[in-house]
Amino acid sequence: MRRSALVGSMLFALLQATSARAEHPGKSEIEKSGYAGPSTCERCHPGKAKEFLGTVHWKHASRVDNVEHLDPKAEYGMKNRIYTMCNGNDVVNDLKETPKNAAGKSKFTGCNTCHPGNHLSDVGSTGPEAEAAVDCLVCHSTDYDFRQRKPHLDDRGRVVMGQDRSTKAALSIGKPTVKNCMTCHEAAGGGVLVKRGFAFNKDTDAHAAKGMVCVDCHAAKNHKMPTGYDPNNWANDGVRLSCAGCHGEKPHKLAAYNDHTARIACQTCHIPRTGGAVAKDFTVWERGADGYYEPTTLKKEANETAPVYAWYDKTVRNEPHFIGPHGSRKDGKSKLYPFKIYMGKAFYDRKTGQLLSMDFAPPMATGDTRAGVESAARTLGMKNPAQVAKDAVPGWQTIYFGSDHLVTRSKALNCINCHGVNGVLDFKALGYSHAEARKLTNPEIYFKQLVQQQKEEW
Amino acid sequence: MKKPASIMLVVARMLVVALMLVGIAGKASAAETKMVGVITQIEISGKDAKVATATLKDNKTGEAVVITVQDDLTLDKFKDHRIVEGDEIRCKYEAKDGKNVSTYFRKTAGC
Repeated sequence: MRRSALVGSMLFALLQATSARAEHPGKSEIEKSGYAGPSTCERCHPGKAKEFLGTVHWKHASRVDNVEHLDPKAEYGMKNRIYTMCNGNDVVNDLKETPKNAAGKSKFTGCNTCHPGNHLSDVGSTGPEAEAAVDCLVCHSTDYDFRQRKPHLDDRGRVVMGQDRSTKAALSIGKPTVKNCMTCHEAAGGGVLVKRGFAFNKDTDAHAAKGMVCVDCHAAKNHKMPTGYDPNNWANDGVRLSCAGCHGEKPHKLAAYNDHTARIACQTCHIPRTGGAVAKDFTVWERGADGYYEPTTLKKEANETAPVYAWYDKTVRNEPHFIGPHGSRKDGKSKLYPFKIYMGKAFYDRKTGQLLSMDFAPPMATGDTRAGVESAARTLGMKNPAQVAKDAVPGWQTIYFGSDHLVTRSKALNCINCHGVNGVLDFKALGYSHAEARKLTNPEIYFKQLVQQQKEEW
Repeated sequence: MKKPASIMLVVARMLVVALMLVGIAGKASAAETKMVGVITQIEISGKDAKVATATLKDNKTGEAVVITVQDDLTLDKFKDHRIVEGDEIRCKYEAKDGKNVSTYFRKTAGC
C-alpha cells in the first residue's frame, strides 16, 4: 500500500514536471484582453487574491504554537522577528533608500524586498487595494522580466516595488517552478545559499534528480504552504509535511533500518551534509567595492559542512543567545535530527539582555552599526534610542536550522557512519551512558548485517 | 668517490620533485581563478542561447575580465534579468581554449 502510494506520488510528480508548463487555459483571453494583474486571474480563480492575503507569503507572520516565550495570540515571522541570521525585519528594515554613502550614492534596501506586493500594499496589508497589488506572476510565470521588479520612487516620493504585468509574462503561467521559489528563497539571509545553505538541483538533491519541484512536497492548498518543523522557521500556514507523508514509516527493504525510524528522523541518515553561512557579524560590517557595507559573513557551499545532531520534539527553545530544539532521549516523543548550526553576532540591550534589531540602511551607507540599532529602536518606540544604541553590548547567538533538503539516497549514512567508534553521533552527548555508548559503537551491532551486504554487493 | 655521487643523485632527485611540485602548484592555481567584480556588460543571443559572456570589472585590479558562461542556471538568470549589468558577482573560472569559462557565478548580494 505504502509502496503503491510512493509510486503514485512519483508518477504524479513526473506528470507535474512534464505538464506543469502545459498551456494554461484562457491563453486566448489573456492575449485578447492583456494582463491587468490579479483581476485577470480572478476571472477564472475568484477569491484567490483575498485568500492569498491570509497566508504567510503575504503576512510574513502567523501565530506560532511550538516556540517558547511567545504570546500565543500574537503573530511572528520575518515581519517582526529579531534574531541573528537576519538582524533586521520587515518593520525596522522596511524597504527604503539608504542615506548617502561616502561617494554620495544611495540605494534601496529592505527585508521586505521579496514581499509579493508593491510595497504600497505591504506585509500583512488587507482590503481591495492589497488584493489588487498581489504579484501573482512572480510566483506563477516562467517568463517574468525581473527588470520590472525593482524599487523606485513614485511621483509622491513613496517607495514602490515594480512588477512585470506584461501579457508576455502572463502567457507562461502555471504551478510554481523551482526557479519561481528560489528567486526569493535562494538569496535570503544576505546572499545566494547563505541562510539555508541548500541548492535544489539534480546534483544536490535526490528529489530534484527525479524531476520533482518544490511544490511537489510543499503542495499548497488554497495558497497555504505545508512546511516542516525547522526550529528557526516559525511562521507557518498551519499545514505540516513530513517525509513519511510519501514514504511511510517503514520505507526500507532492510528491517534493521526500519527499526530506526521510530527514533531517528529520515533526515539524519539521508541528509548527511549541510551548507550556507556558518557565522555572521552584524556588529562589524565590511566595505565592498561598490562603497556600501555588508555584515561580515563566513559562507560555505551546499554540502560543504557537517550537521549537528540533537533530539527534537518539534518544540523550540527560544532564548536571547539560543534558538534550537527542545527534546531528549527519554521523553518518548523526540527523534534525532540533523541541524545546520549557525552563530550570529549582534547587539544586545544592556539593561534587559534581550537581542536588539537593526535597520540596515544606516550601516549599509556608512558602516555605523550602532546607528542601525538606534534607528530600529526608534521605529519600535523604545525609550531613548540613542542611549540604547550607545550602551548596546555585542554578543553571539546560536541558531539550529532545520536540515531538510540536500536529500541523498546513495550517500546516506550507513551503520558504520553512526555506530563506528569514530561515527558522526556523540552518543554520550545525546544522553547515553558510557556502557550504552560502548555497546552502540561495537561492531557486534552491525557486523553480520554488513558482511552479508558486502557479499551481495560483490 | 661513491659518496659524493650518491649525494648528488639525491639532490638531483629532490630538485626534480621540487620542480614537479612547483609545476603542479602553478598548474593548480592557473586552473581556477577566483574574483569578485561588477558586471559591465552581458552578451547573450536570445532565449535559447546556450552560452553567454559577461564582462566583470575586477574589484582588486580594476581590469575587465570577459567570462564565458555556459551553465543553465546562470544563463536563465541572464535571460530573465535576475542578473543584470551593475550586479556584483563572485566568480570562479578556468582558462580553456583561450576563454575564461565560468565554474561559479553568483551575485554577492542578497536580502
